[in-house]
Amino acid sequence: MRIFDPHIHMTSRTTDDYEAMYAAGVRALVEPAFWLGQPRTSVGSFTDYFDGLIGWERFRASQFGIRHHCTIALNPKEANDPRCTDVLDVLPRYLTKDGVVAVGEVGYDSMTEAEEKAFAHQLQLAVEYELPVLVHTPHRDKLAGTKRTLEVVRESGIAPERVVVDHLNEVTVGLVAEAGCWMGFSIYPHTKMDEHRMVAILAEYGTARMLVNSAADWGRSDPLKTYRTGQAMLAGGFTESDVDTVLWRNPVEFYGQSGNLMLDPLEESSPTGATFEGNSVLRGARQ
Amino acid sequence: MSTLRFGYGTNGFANHRLDDALAIIADLGYTGVALTLDHNHLDPFAGDVAEQTRRVRARLEQLGLGVVVETGARFLLDPWRKHQPTLLSDEAGPRIDFLRRAARIAADLGAECVSFWSGVKPAEVDDTTAWRRLLDGVAAVLEDTPARFALEPEPGHFVQHLAEALRLRDELGGPEQLGITLDVGHCVAVEPFDAATCVRQAGDLLFNVQLDDMRTGVHEHLEFGEGELDLTATLAALAEVGYRGLAAIELPRHSHAAPDVARRGLRALRAADWLADAERTVRADPARIRTLFPAVGRKAGRSALDAHGLVHGTVDDKARVRLLAALKPEDLAAEVPDLYRYGDGAERRAVLRGLHLLPPEAAGTGVRLVEDALRANDIGLVAAALGPFAAEHLDAHTWRHGVLKCLFVGVPVAAVAGLGDRVDDELVRMVGDYAAERRAAGRDVPSDIDVILQEAGAQ
Repeated sequence: MRIFDPHIHMTSRTTDDYEAMYAAGVRALVEPAFWLGQPRTSVGSFTDYFDGLIGWERFRASQFGIRHHCTIALNPKEANDPRCTDVLDVLPRYLTKDGVVAVGEVGYDSMTEAEEKAFAHQLQLAVEYELPVLVHTPHRDKLAGTKRTLEVVRESGIAPERVVVDHLNEVTVGLVAEAGCWMGFSIYPHTKMDEHRMVAILAEYGTARMLVNSAADWGRSDPLKTYRTGQAMLAGGFTESDVDTVLWRNPVEFYGQSGNLMLDPLEESSPTGATFEGNSVLRGARQ
Repeated sequence: MSTLRFGYGTNGFANHRLDDALAIIADLGYTGVALTLDHNHLDPFAGDVAEQTRRVRARLEQLGLGVVVETGARFLLDPWRKHQPTLLSDEAGPRIDFLRRAARIAADLGAECVSFWSGVKPAEVDDTTAWRRLLDGVAAVLEDTPARFALEPEPGHFVQHLAEALRLRDELGGPEQLGITLDVGHCVAVEPFDAATCVRQAGDLLFNVQLDDMRTGVHEHLEFGEGELDLTATLAALAEVGYRGLAAIELPRHSHAAPDVARRGLRALRAADWLADAERTVRADPARIRTLFPAVGRKAGRSALDAHGLVHGTVDDKARVRLLAALKPEDLAAEVPDLYRYGDGAERRAVLRGLHLLPPEAAGTGVRLVEDALRANDIGLVAAALGPFAAEHLDAHTWRHGVLKCLFVGVPVAAVAGLGDRVDDELVRMVGDYAAERRAAGRDVPSDIDVILQEAGAQ
């Protein structure tokens, strides 16, 4: 099983996770820019984070045989904080960088005016810089939030096939399917969506425009949920080719629209003495 | 991107059937073809040439390819003598007949023009006679045909420079249907000016363009990057003069690997075209460098220009420095700090390699960036930091420590600009101590230490 996790926050994961992911078949991933748990207080905090996504984290993943890409955005939660919103002016510098494959995560958290303004602005950036968009849907009031999300997407004029609406469930998937956007599902141990419900949704809606991710971060989450969904699909009667469509070909097709995927295989699958700006992931003596 | 249309010459697909060659050229993404009429590619002397021409025209239309007709086949008229007879021969009739046939085929194909050359002057013919024959021959070819003809200056031929081709046209009274074919590689090989200047000199009279690389004085068609052609500046000049014709790659000696060569060629053209366009954009709106600078690697390539790209940098370094050079000095001074601050490793490297472009009053900014880079452990940054700007502006202490750091981290001292001028007794002492320390520990002494000592001895 080859796996492309289209949404996972590796910055908050350990090297054990990278090793387990590689062993399970993960060869590529996308890390969307999001909040940090601890609120940011300045634009500098964003730019250091963005620099880490395109620099150190990409290097760290490569040391475990995994191609790391990222998306860049002001996230919905922090769009409400005036200390953070100036980052919108800096985003264009990052959107054309190597390995940046979408604008994201954008969308709503609490359905505020500030969130909507940042969301609409960043949809325009996606149009201008010819990138797809990763849209987060709110945890609270999800159905209304998803409806409004799709309206804003439509108003922006961006092509629906360049948009993935994420964190969907049984209640919201139909709206997104109808709108022509890609459908994203975050498979969690205890919340959002689990792999068995996911298989039922795939049975009902088919595999086209479907993206399955682990959305693993610093909360309770499991970076192998993509793999487990693949297993559940096979147990549920899907073919290996169906699994490959959902776990590899679909994310490649969606993010490939950026023209910025880097999928040539990496030579090493275990860490070497290589360094990023002089730092390696090894601890102890270098050979 | 510019509106230039890129094609490929079928004489570079001599081992392919014409139909297959056209399909490959179109599949690769070219939008035109320079079709050399030859014994195996639309033979103008075949009994069913009219029928074949209709078929080829349908094929070109189906594939969406524009076409120009080329007449440089080697043994089409005389199986024993290459390119013979020519318009300069005692019996030029067969050549004139061939060119008039080519004009009819061009009309039936919907081709944009027919390209031709003068031929080599026979040893026994004097210049005056040769010029007369050429004038008469071209006049005969142009008579009673609506076809556009394009005269190509060809190294070693009687007309080998653009200036002679333009003079011939003048002496014929400047017929509207007669223009120029310019092979930009030939410009490198034999013209007194570079290809971009030749493009501007030909201007509106440019009917047809052939693209390839070449070295000064050597008429050998090379792939882009193997010679001395400034492809980006050449494409920029074509866009600037509003050239609307085909620009087709001319690699007649690469048929043995045609599909791969053609694929590489289009990649190079698209990269150069993107860069030429980006330079224009930045000149018109300096702030656009903020988003074009990061995109360079993806659009223009990333390969190293030497073993590890430490001495001469990389393709993207070079392209980014061109974008910096497109800024006015005051705009450059304003943009450089943030290009560095927000740059990834590759972008920072290029900023460092472009610091010599800064105006003198902004030297302080440049010094700060060099100092930052010399604190890093990324050897690409260390190597790029010690270029000509550091040689001129860095204080002696910082510069010496930069050189010593090169020895430590494995940057070849060949990457250090102005080593011979700046090496001093203190640096000699420092590297001497370093060598002694290595020897005492039983470790290798970097051979670059000798290079530094030799430079010191040569002073």
